[in-house]
Amino acid sequence: MTKTDTVPIRARHLSKSYPSGAAVTDVSFTVASGRVLGLLGPNGAGKTTTIRMLLGLVAPDSGDALITDRPYSALGRPLQTIGTMLDAGGLHPGRTGRQHLLIAAAQAKVPAGRVDDVLTEVDMTQAADRSIAGYSLGMRQRVALAAALVASPNILVLDEPANGLDPAGMHWLRQRIRAFADAGGAVLLSSHVLSDVQQIADDIVVMQAGRVVADTPLADVLHEQGGDLERFYLELTNAPSGVR
Amino acid sequence: MLRSELLKITTTTAPKIALGVGAGGLILTQLMSVSVLPALASGRMGAVPAELRDAIPSLDLVTSSGQLAALSPLGASGGSGSLGIAVIAIVLMGVLAGTSDYRFGGIVSSFLAQPNRVRVLLAKAGATGVAGLVTGALFAVVSTATLLGTLWFLGIPVAIDPIVIAAVLSRSLLAIACLTIVGLAVGILARSQLAGVLIMLGVLLLELVVQSITQLIVGGMPVWAQLLPLALTNTVIGTGESELPLPAAVAALLGLTVVALALAATALRRRDV
Repeated sequence: MTKTDTVPIRARHLSKSYPSGAAVTDVSFTVASGRVLGLLGPNGAGKTTTIRMLLGLVAPDSGDALITDRPYSALGRPLQTIGTMLDAGGLHPGRTGRQHLLIAAAQAKVPAGRVDDVLTEVDMTQAADRSIAGYSLGMRQRVALAAALVASPNILVLDEPANGLDPAGMHWLRQRIRAFADAGGAVLLSSHVLSDVQQIADDIVVMQAGRVVADTPLADVLHEQGGDLERFYLELTNAPSGVR
Repeated sequence: MLRSELLKITTTTAPKIALGVGAGGLILTQLMSVSVLPALASGRMGAVPAELRDAIPSLDLVTSSGQLAALSPLGASGGSGSLGIAVIAIVLMGVLAGTSDYRFGGIVSSFLAQPNRVRVLLAKAGATGVAGLVTGALFAVVSTATLLGTLWFLGIPVAIDPIVIAAVLSRSLLAIACLTIVGLAVGILARSQLAGVLIMLGVLLLELVVQSITQLIVGGMPVWAQLLPLALTNTVIGTGESELPLPAAVAALLGLTVVALALAATALRRRDV
């Protein structure tokens, strides 16, 4: 994995409305190579819609959603450019973890042997041939992450990847993400867990009511707020105290 | 994409259950329609009084038309006026192939792997068509074996040319693959398993009702009634009587499949997921 001149992820003036109202309005940010960007915001802030526009799953009303300076639909072999973890990975409970990853490998057009590699990476080799129905939430997250990594992408988009992970799993995930970015990869990480974001993000974008209300290096925030990301977040989102 | 879609079908139990139920139902249907009833009607089995044998609804396996009717992989009684379990299993397999990705979120990974959604649909249609061919082959083996076994048991010579048998079975594979793909398209349009199954069964049952009423009113089957899905399928298989020429029936069934896929493609391209 090497750093390139292209911008891995760029959202430019993205807007999207539904009949119920505007979901996202004029959202812009970039994720650079070697950086982890934490996308923060309360439920309904527009994080998921933004991510789905970047991935070509939702058509924006206006603006550009670019991956390596191209729309997702123009990527030649998208899974080899960008790995994603959404909706707990779309795991079918009737399959085994290995079967899910074999399907992911076939979709990514990589050899089936790569499945064993990613199972080892996420420490799921022992449970690979068990039914997903019997997996804990944390095990499902690991398999979903393995599917995102199966084609060795340079970019990762992770939506709430820490859900269901125990402390050891969260520690492992933070290390994995950090190592990925340190090797030149770009990571867009959507999370509600501020403490996790604080430990691994380089930059943060805070969304509130469909708009970007902060786009800044995390170090600057921590410097200005005396190391308190939570206070910064609560002030921006007008959230009541008690929100993580 | 085709390989991953085939893996999706082969790694879940629903298609296998549909296949097993369809094959089991077909075996029972064939045993009853092709073996038991003709044997009872001919007096070779059981102790049915001679005066009652004529009342038993059975195929005349001595004639080539009777043997041909017994050869249908959709079930000997599925050719006209009824909805066999084999047909239900086939369309359910297609519907489930179309809806399971929506139910468990797999459609997102498909679109991420292949942003061109029409290509995703074509891969799904290809995989589902292959599943339909395998299903058709299994059903063809069941119907052929039942017919030949019954003829041997009753001591009746085979009255159908082997080439005709091969043609019927080949067309059956085509018809079953088309039905499965139509089920897939309905599943994609409906997204919900329950809605997809209800729509498909509703359409098939409605066809039977419409055909029955039409026959009562006009005393025959007008051309439009022969263009309905079940009637078309049976005409393509060619084990019953139909006024619709075979090439026209094949073209109409393929056209129906293409139209269903086109509607599904339009829906897939327009939807946010």
